Amino acid sequence: MRILLIEPDRLLAGAYASALEQQGHTVVHAVSAQGAVHQADQQTPDVVVLELQMPRHNGVEFLYEFRSYTEWLGVPVLVHSFVPPSELTRAVKLRAELGVVQILHKPATSLRQLCEAVAHVAVAA
Amino acid sequence: MMNNRQEVTEAIVLARTEYGEADRILTLLTPENGKLRLIAKGVRRVKSKLAGGIELFSVTNVTYIKGRGDIGTLISARLVTYYSKIVGDIDRTMLGYDLIKQLHKVTEDEPEADYYHLLVQAFAALDDATIDIELIRMWFGAQLLRLSGHTPNLRTEPGGAKLTAEQAYEFSFDDSAFVARPDGGAYRADAIKFLRIVFDGNQPAVLAHVGGAARLVEQTRQLVAFMGQQYLR
Repeated sequence: MRILLIEPDRLLAGAYASALEQQGHTVVHAVSAQGAVHQADQQTPDVVVLELQMPRHNGVEFLYEFRSYTEWLGVPVLVHSFVPPSELTRAVKLRAELGVVQILHKPATSLRQLCEAVAHVAVAA
Repeated sequence: MMNNRQEVTEAIVLARTEYGEADRILTLLTPENGKLRLIAKGVRRVKSKLAGGIELFSVTNVTYIKGRGDIGTLISARLVTYYSKIVGDIDRTMLGYDLIKQLHKVTEDEPEADYYHLLVQAFAALDDATIDIELIRMWFGAQLLRLSGHTPNLRTEPGGAKLTAEQAYEFSFDDSAFVARPDGGAYRADAIKFLRIVFDGNQPAVLAHVGGAARLVEQTRQLVAFMGQQYLR
Protein backbone atom coordinates (compact mmCIF):
# COMPACT_ATOMS: atom_id res chain seq x y z
CA MET A 1 0.00 0.00 0.00
CA ARG A 2 1.11 3.53 -0.69
CA ILE A 3 0.69 5.58 2.49
CA LEU A 4 0.71 9.37 2.43
CA LEU A 5 1.97 10.35 5.88
CA ILE A 6 1.22 13.98 6.72
CA GLU A 7 3.30 14.79 9.77
CA PRO A 8 4.96 18.13 10.50
CA ASP A 9 7.43 16.63 12.99
CA ARG A 10 10.23 15.04 10.98
CA LEU A 11 11.52 12.90 13.87
CA LEU A 12 8.11 11.39 14.51
CA ALA A 13 7.55 11.00 10.78
CA GLY A 14 10.77 9.00 10.54
CA ALA A 15 9.62 6.62 13.26
CA TYR A 16 6.15 6.16 11.78
CA ALA A 17 7.49 5.71 8.26
CA SER A 18 10.01 3.13 9.43
CA ALA A 19 7.34 1.13 11.26
CA LEU A 20 4.94 1.23 8.33
CA GLU A 21 7.65 0.32 5.83
CA GLN A 22 8.51 -2.72 7.93
CA GLN A 23 4.95 -3.82 7.34
CA GLY A 24 5.58 -3.67 3.59
CA HIS A 25 4.00 -0.31 2.86
CA THR A 26 5.49 2.43 0.76
CA VAL A 27 5.46 5.69 2.71
CA VAL A 28 5.50 9.13 1.17
CA HIS A 29 5.96 11.90 3.72
CA ALA A 30 4.66 15.47 3.61
CA VAL A 31 5.25 18.06 6.32
CA SER A 32 2.48 20.45 5.25
CA ALA A 33 -1.00 20.47 3.77
CA GLN A 34 0.24 21.98 0.53
CA GLY A 35 3.05 19.46 0.33
CA ALA A 36 0.54 16.67 0.86
CA VAL A 37 -1.66 17.89 -2.00
CA HIS A 38 1.45 18.01 -4.16
CA GLN A 39 2.43 14.46 -3.16
CA ALA A 40 -1.06 13.13 -3.78
CA ASP A 41 -0.96 14.79 -7.15
CA GLN A 42 2.20 12.84 -8.06
CA GLN A 43 0.53 9.54 -7.25
CA THR A 44 -2.78 8.91 -5.54
CA PRO A 45 -2.21 7.27 -2.14
CA ASP A 46 -4.11 4.20 -0.94
CA VAL A 47 -4.34 5.53 2.62
CA VAL A 48 -3.65 8.92 4.20
CA VAL A 49 -2.36 9.23 7.78
CA LEU A 50 -2.96 12.79 8.94
CA GLU A 51 -1.91 15.01 11.84
CA LEU A 52 -4.54 17.73 12.27
CA GLN A 53 -2.26 20.25 13.95
CA MET A 54 0.11 21.72 11.42
CA PRO A 55 1.61 25.14 10.95
CA ARG A 56 -0.10 27.44 8.45
CA HIS A 57 -2.77 25.15 6.96
CA ASN A 58 -4.19 22.63 9.41
CA GLY A 59 -5.38 19.10 8.76
CA VAL A 60 -9.02 20.10 8.39
CA GLU A 61 -8.08 22.51 5.63
CA PHE A 62 -6.17 19.71 3.96
CA LEU A 63 -9.21 17.42 4.22
CA TYR A 64 -11.57 19.92 2.62
CA GLU A 65 -9.08 20.52 -0.18
CA PHE A 66 -8.37 16.82 -0.64
CA ARG A 67 -12.06 15.93 -0.82
CA SER A 68 -12.76 18.64 -3.36
CA TYR A 69 -11.06 16.46 -6.00
CA THR A 70 -13.28 13.65 -7.24
CA GLU A 71 -10.38 11.25 -7.76
CA TRP A 72 -9.46 11.44 -4.07
CA LEU A 73 -12.96 11.15 -2.65
CA GLY A 74 -12.59 7.44 -1.94
CA VAL A 75 -9.14 7.52 -0.35
CA PRO A 76 -9.48 6.57 3.33
CA VAL A 77 -8.00 9.00 5.83
CA LEU A 78 -6.81 7.97 9.26
CA VAL A 79 -6.37 10.87 11.67
CA HIS A 80 -3.40 10.35 13.97
CA SER A 81 -3.18 13.51 15.99
CA PHE A 82 -2.07 15.24 19.17
CA VAL A 83 -5.54 16.79 19.37
CA PRO A 84 -7.26 14.97 22.26
CA PRO A 85 -10.57 13.31 21.33
CA SER A 86 -12.24 15.36 24.09
CA GLU A 87 -11.29 18.55 22.25
CA LEU A 88 -12.35 17.22 18.89
CA THR A 89 -15.99 18.10 19.32
CA ARG A 90 -16.71 17.75 15.65
CA ALA A 91 -15.30 14.26 15.22
CA VAL A 92 -18.64 13.03 13.89
CA LYS A 93 -18.46 15.53 11.09
CA LEU A 94 -14.89 14.54 10.31
CA ARG A 95 -16.05 11.00 9.87
CA ALA A 96 -19.30 11.66 8.05
CA GLU A 97 -18.39 14.47 5.70
CA LEU A 98 -14.67 14.23 5.25
CA GLY A 99 -14.21 10.48 5.05
CA VAL A 100 -12.11 10.02 8.18
CA VAL A 101 -12.29 6.31 8.94
CA GLN A 102 -10.56 6.37 12.31
CA ILE A 103 -9.24 8.90 14.80
CA LEU A 104 -6.20 7.95 16.88
CA HIS A 105 -4.87 10.06 19.75
CA LYS A 106 -1.14 10.15 19.11
CA PRO A 107 0.09 10.06 22.73
CA ALA A 108 -2.11 7.05 23.45
CA THR A 109 -1.29 5.10 20.30
CA SER A 110 1.72 2.82 19.98
CA LEU A 111 3.54 2.21 16.71
CA ARG A 112 2.05 -1.26 16.65
CA GLN A 113 -1.47 0.13 17.06
CA LEU A 114 -0.83 2.64 14.28
CA CYS A 115 0.37 -0.14 11.97
CA GLU A 116 -2.64 -2.29 12.86
CA ALA A 117 -5.01 0.58 12.19
CA VAL A 118 -3.41 1.28 8.82
CA ALA A 119 -3.54 -2.43 7.94
CA HIS A 120 -7.21 -2.54 8.92
CA VAL A 121 -8.04 0.53 6.86
CA ALA A 122 -6.04 -0.78 3.92
CA VAL A 123 -7.92 -4.11 3.97
CA ALA A 124 -11.28 -2.35 4.20
CA ALA A 125 -10.33 -0.08 1.29
CA MET B 1 -12.81 49.00 -13.83
CA MET B 2 -9.36 48.86 -15.44
CA ASN B 3 -10.47 48.39 -19.01
CA ASN B 4 -13.46 47.01 -20.88
CA ARG B 5 -13.15 43.50 -19.54
CA GLN B 6 -10.78 43.49 -16.57
CA GLU B 7 -12.40 44.02 -13.19
CA VAL B 8 -11.24 44.28 -9.60
CA THR B 9 -13.27 43.38 -6.53
CA GLU B 10 -12.96 42.31 -2.93
CA ALA B 11 -13.98 38.69 -2.46
CA ILE B 12 -14.22 35.73 -0.12
CA VAL B 13 -13.87 32.12 -1.27
CA LEU B 14 -17.11 30.14 -0.89
CA ALA B 15 -16.17 26.99 -2.74
CA ARG B 16 -13.71 25.53 -5.16
CA THR B 17 -14.01 22.60 -7.51
CA GLU B 18 -11.74 20.98 -10.05
CA TYR B 19 -11.96 21.91 -13.70
CA GLY B 20 -10.02 19.74 -16.07
CA GLU B 21 -6.62 18.44 -15.07
CA ALA B 22 -4.97 21.60 -13.90
CA ASP B 23 -7.59 24.27 -13.32
CA ARG B 24 -9.88 25.13 -10.43
CA ILE B 25 -13.18 26.95 -10.41
CA LEU B 26 -13.50 29.30 -7.46
CA THR B 27 -16.90 30.49 -6.32
CA LEU B 28 -16.37 33.84 -4.65
CA LEU B 29 -18.69 36.09 -2.69
CA THR B 30 -18.29 39.78 -3.45
CA PRO B 31 -19.91 42.82 -1.84
CA GLU B 32 -21.25 44.33 -5.05
CA ASN B 33 -21.53 41.57 -7.61
CA GLY B 34 -22.91 38.69 -5.58
CA LYS B 35 -21.35 35.35 -6.36
CA LEU B 36 -18.58 35.21 -8.91
CA ARG B 37 -17.28 32.08 -10.59
CA LEU B 38 -13.71 32.28 -11.81
CA ILE B 39 -11.34 29.81 -13.38
CA ALA B 40 -7.98 29.76 -11.64
CA LYS B 41 -5.76 28.35 -14.35
CA GLY B 42 -3.00 25.88 -13.66
CA VAL B 43 -3.20 26.18 -9.90
CA ARG B 44 -3.18 22.48 -9.25
CA ARG B 45 0.12 21.70 -10.89
CA VAL B 46 2.11 24.50 -9.34
CA LYS B 47 2.92 25.24 -5.73
CA SER B 48 0.10 27.65 -5.24
CA LYS B 49 -1.88 28.08 -2.07
CA LEU B 50 -4.53 25.52 -1.21
CA ALA B 51 -7.56 27.36 -2.49
CA GLY B 52 -6.04 28.11 -5.84
CA GLY B 53 -4.15 31.28 -5.10
CA ILE B 54 -6.56 32.62 -2.53
CA GLU B 55 -6.55 31.86 1.17
CA LEU B 56 -9.75 30.67 2.76
CA PHE B 57 -10.98 32.72 5.72
CA SER B 58 -9.66 35.86 4.11
CA VAL B 59 -10.73 38.96 2.25
CA THR B 60 -8.85 39.21 -1.03
CA ASN B 61 -8.68 41.71 -3.84
CA VAL B 62 -9.12 39.76 -7.06
CA THR B 63 -8.52 40.93 -10.60
CA TYR B 64 -10.39 38.98 -13.21
CA ILE B 65 -11.60 39.00 -16.76
CA LYS B 66 -15.31 38.66 -17.30
CA GLY B 67 -16.16 35.72 -19.45
CA ARG B 68 -18.82 35.61 -22.12
CA GLY B 69 -20.72 33.09 -20.05
CA ASP B 70 -21.06 32.74 -16.31
CA ILE B 71 -17.41 32.00 -15.61
CA GLY B 72 -14.61 34.56 -15.67
CA THR B 73 -10.86 34.10 -15.42
CA LEU B 74 -8.81 34.94 -12.36
CA ILE B 75 -5.83 37.13 -13.22
CA SER B 76 -4.38 37.88 -9.82
CA ALA B 77 -5.21 37.88 -6.13
CA ARG B 78 -3.91 40.16 -3.37
CA LEU B 79 -4.60 39.35 0.25
CA VAL B 80 -6.33 42.17 2.13
CA THR B 81 -7.12 40.52 5.48
CA TYR B 82 -6.28 37.00 6.55
CA TYR B 83 -8.02 35.75 9.69
CA SER B 84 -5.12 33.49 10.51
CA LYS B 85 -6.11 32.53 14.04
CA ILE B 86 -9.13 30.59 12.75
CA VAL B 87 -6.93 27.81 11.39
CA GLY B 88 -5.01 27.65 14.65
CA ASP B 89 -8.01 25.87 16.15
CA ILE B 90 -9.54 22.75 14.60
CA ASP B 91 -13.08 23.43 15.85
CA ARG B 92 -13.01 27.05 14.67
CA THR B 93 -11.76 25.89 11.29
CA MET B 94 -14.60 23.40 10.98
CA LEU B 95 -17.17 25.97 12.06
CA GLY B 96 -15.71 28.41 9.52
CA TYR B 97 -16.31 25.85 6.77
CA ASP B 98 -19.81 25.23 8.11
CA LEU B 99 -20.73 28.92 8.06
CA ILE B 100 -19.41 29.37 4.52
CA LYS B 101 -21.38 26.33 3.41
CA GLN B 102 -24.57 27.53 5.10
CA LEU B 103 -24.34 30.95 3.51
CA HIS B 104 -23.57 29.47 0.10
CA LYS B 105 -26.57 27.18 0.40
CA VAL B 106 -29.17 29.75 1.46
CA THR B 107 -28.21 32.51 -0.95
CA GLU B 108 -28.98 32.97 -4.63
CA ASP B 109 -26.39 33.95 -7.21
CA GLU B 110 -26.77 37.64 -6.42
CA PRO B 111 -27.08 37.95 -2.67
CA GLU B 112 -27.14 41.41 -1.12
CA ALA B 113 -23.95 42.98 0.19
CA ASP B 114 -25.19 42.31 3.74
CA TYR B 115 -24.36 38.62 3.29
CA TYR B 116 -20.79 39.50 2.35
CA HIS B 117 -20.43 41.70 5.41
CA LEU B 118 -21.97 38.97 7.58
CA LEU B 119 -19.27 36.55 6.49
CA VAL B 120 -16.54 39.10 7.17
CA GLN B 121 -17.97 39.65 10.66
CA ALA B 122 -18.14 35.90 11.22
CA PHE B 123 -14.47 35.51 10.25
CA ALA B 124 -13.53 38.32 12.63
CA ALA B 125 -15.46 36.64 15.44
CA LEU B 126 -13.90 33.23 14.75
CA ASP B 127 -10.51 34.91 14.73
CA ASP B 128 -11.09 36.13 18.28
CA ALA B 129 -10.35 33.22 20.60
CA THR B 130 -12.21 34.89 23.47
CA ILE B 131 -15.58 34.51 21.72
CA ASP B 132 -17.28 31.17 22.29
CA ILE B 133 -17.86 29.26 19.08
CA GLU B 134 -21.39 28.20 20.05
CA LEU B 135 -22.27 31.87 20.40
CA ILE B 136 -20.84 32.51 16.92
CA ARG B 137 -22.75 29.59 15.44
CA MET B 138 -26.02 30.73 17.01
CA TRP B 139 -25.46 34.39 16.07
CA PHE B 140 -24.67 33.46 12.46
CA GLY B 141 -27.81 31.32 12.15
CA ALA B 142 -29.88 34.19 13.51
CA GLN B 143 -28.35 36.66 11.05
CA LEU B 144 -29.07 34.34 8.11
CA LEU B 145 -32.69 34.20 9.27
CA ARG B 146 -32.81 37.99 9.66
CA LEU B 147 -31.31 38.69 6.23
CA SER B 148 -33.68 36.18 4.65
CA GLY B 149 -36.68 37.97 6.16
CA HIS B 150 -37.38 35.36 8.82
CA THR B 151 -36.87 37.34 12.00
CA PRO B 152 -39.30 35.85 14.51
CA ASN B 153 -41.74 37.99 16.42
CA LEU B 154 -39.95 38.51 19.72
CA ARG B 155 -42.26 41.14 21.19
CA THR B 156 -45.84 39.95 21.04
CA GLU B 157 -47.86 36.77 20.98
CA PRO B 158 -49.61 35.89 17.70
CA GLY B 159 -52.79 37.58 18.99
CA GLY B 160 -50.93 40.82 19.68
CA ALA B 161 -50.56 40.55 23.47
CA LYS B 162 -47.16 41.81 24.64
CA LEU B 163 -44.75 39.24 26.03
CA THR B 164 -44.35 39.67 29.78
CA ALA B 165 -41.47 39.04 32.14
CA GLU B 166 -43.58 36.88 34.45
CA GLN B 167 -44.70 34.37 31.84
CA ALA B 168 -42.77 31.43 30.34
CA TYR B 169 -43.34 30.74 26.65
CA GLU B 170 -43.02 28.13 23.95
CA PHE B 171 -42.12 28.96 20.37
CA SER B 172 -44.74 28.39 17.69
CA PHE B 173 -43.08 27.68 14.33
CA ASP B 174 -46.41 28.16 12.55
CA ASP B 175 -46.71 31.70 13.91
CA SER B 176 -42.97 32.41 14.17
CA ALA B 177 -43.73 33.83 17.60
CA PHE B 178 -43.73 32.91 21.27
CA VAL B 179 -46.99 31.75 22.81
CA ALA B 180 -47.89 31.46 26.48
CA ARG B 181 -48.79 27.99 27.69
CA PRO B 182 -50.92 27.37 30.78
CA ASP B 183 -48.43 24.73 31.91
CA GLY B 184 -45.43 27.01 31.37
CA GLY B 185 -42.78 26.96 28.65
CA ALA B 186 -39.07 26.62 28.05
CA TYR B 187 -38.35 30.28 27.32
CA ARG B 188 -38.41 33.02 29.92
CA ALA B 189 -37.92 36.76 29.57
CA ASP B 190 -34.12 36.72 29.76
CA ALA B 191 -33.82 34.20 26.90
CA ILE B 192 -36.28 36.09 24.72
CA LYS B 193 -34.57 39.38 25.47
CA PHE B 194 -31.25 37.81 24.50
CA LEU B 195 -32.78 36.65 21.22
CA ARG B 196 -33.92 40.24 20.57
CA ILE B 197 -30.35 41.47 21.02
CA VAL B 198 -29.07 38.73 18.72
CA PHE B 199 -31.65 39.33 15.98
CA ASP B 200 -31.07 43.10 16.19
CA GLY B 201 -27.77 42.37 14.47
CA ASN B 202 -25.37 43.02 17.31
CA GLN B 203 -21.88 41.62 16.82
CA PRO B 204 -20.70 38.47 18.63
CA ALA B 205 -18.15 40.53 20.56
CA VAL B 206 -21.04 42.58 21.98
CA LEU B 207 -23.17 39.52 22.72
CA ALA B 208 -20.27 37.93 24.56
CA HIS B 209 -20.49 40.73 27.12
CA VAL B 210 -24.17 40.16 27.91
CA GLY B 211 -24.49 38.84 31.47
CA GLY B 212 -24.99 35.07 31.45
CA ALA B 213 -24.27 34.88 27.70
CA ALA B 214 -23.05 31.28 27.82
CA ARG B 215 -26.20 30.13 29.63
CA LEU B 216 -28.47 32.11 27.30
CA VAL B 217 -26.74 30.69 24.22
CA GLU B 218 -27.23 27.21 25.64
CA GLN B 219 -30.94 27.95 26.18
CA THR B 220 -31.60 29.41 22.73
CA ARG B 221 -29.17 27.87 20.25
CA GLN B 222 -31.31 24.85 19.47
CA LEU B 223 -34.32 27.05 18.80
CA VAL B 224 -32.33 29.16 16.34
CA ALA B 225 -31.00 25.99 14.68
CA PHE B 226 -34.56 24.64 14.33
CA MET B 227 -35.71 27.98 12.89
CA GLY B 228 -32.96 27.68 10.30
CA GLN B 229 -34.07 24.18 9.37
CA GLN B 230 -37.68 25.30 9.21
CA TYR B 231 -37.44 28.61 7.40
CA LEU B 232 -34.26 28.51 5.30
CA ARG B 233 -33.82 26.31 2.28
